[in-house]
Amino acid sequence: MNYYNFHLYQAIVAFIAAFMIFQGVRNYLKGKSGQTFYKVAIRIIVWGGMAFIAIFPGFTNALAKIVGLQGNVNAVIITGFILVFMMIFKLLSAIEKLEQDISILTRKDSLKEIQKK
Amino acid sequence: MNEKIFIVIPAYNEETVIQDVIREIKNEGYDNIIVVDDGSKDRTCEKAKEINGITVLRHKINRGKGAAAKTGIEAAKLMEADIIITIDGDGQHDPKDIENLINPITKKNFDVVLGTRLKNPDGMPFHKKIHNWIANIITWYLFGLWVTDSQSGFRAYSKKAADLINTRYDRYEYDSEVIRELYLYKLKFKEVPIKVRYTEYSKSKLEKQNIFNGFKTLYKMFWKLVH
Repeated sequence: MNYYNFHLYQAIVAFIAAFMIFQGVRNYLKGKSGQTFYKVAIRIIVWGGMAFIAIFPGFTNALAKIVGLQGNVNAVIITGFILVFMMIFKLLSAIEKLEQDISILTRKDSLKEIQKK
Repeated sequence: MNEKIFIVIPAYNEETVIQDVIREIKNEGYDNIIVVDDGSKDRTCEKAKEINGITVLRHKINRGKGAAAKTGIEAAKLMEADIIITIDGDGQHDPKDIENLINPITKKNFDVVLGTRLKNPDGMPFHKKIHNWIANIITWYLFGLWVTDSQSGFRAYSKKAADLINTRYDRYEYDSEVIRELYLYKLKFKEVPIKVRYTEYSKSKLEKQNIFNGFKTLYKMFWKLVH
């Protein structure tokens, strides 16, 4: 890696990826409900892969050669893509959490009748 | 048999058949019946309540088959059930098979018994067989356990299994999630062939589980693994 050509976006992506991986691993180690090893592994692969490509952009050229595409990726597009990806990821997580909370509330409400007896 | 057996029926818009389903189960000698009306838009809840001696619970809003089954199982646990059976509310399952599902738990100490339609698939529409095979392969790939009918709603749980299994999926992914829990907790399970009655009514219900809903279920299974 050439340290003189290190760009700000690379540091940002690496930081965000490290944060997301750290959060996943911490939740898994704490035994937080729903956090399985499989999920943590996928999280590490997705975010780790993103950080790897950001830190070693030359890898995309090798990948482009393997896949057979001419890789000429604009950093702005990548940044935008990552931001949108992150937003969708967080949004879907929030929706999922809300869905689960609604189900729990609905269940508690319907079970009241039995608990009264 | 001294075990306290509870039958849980998750039901959504089943007003035309729910009373027959309950009566058939009662005729087989099972009186502890819990109907969970999953926010039906029709009179399913009222129809079920017309039958005396059963417990009818209602989700104020529709949360899905998985959520309704879980509510029923939680209710049965509160009522100190020893064995819990889940059975679909559309009448496709034959209550005569309940005994076959209970026996491995009472006599051979199995934790969970899965009713399987694919060991005796007479009358099952071809596209449904394909759908089930694909679901089985995906369930095996994602959750690590091969079963012949990962989407069957006709199952029996011992008290130990009901206490351990903790599902979060609300809709049709629930059936596969139970398989994951079997694998995670190393529960002893058995598959038992069940009869399925493909009436015009139950077929019309099955049609609603079309390919788009299949993709939706698949997407949700993947998503819940990733996030």
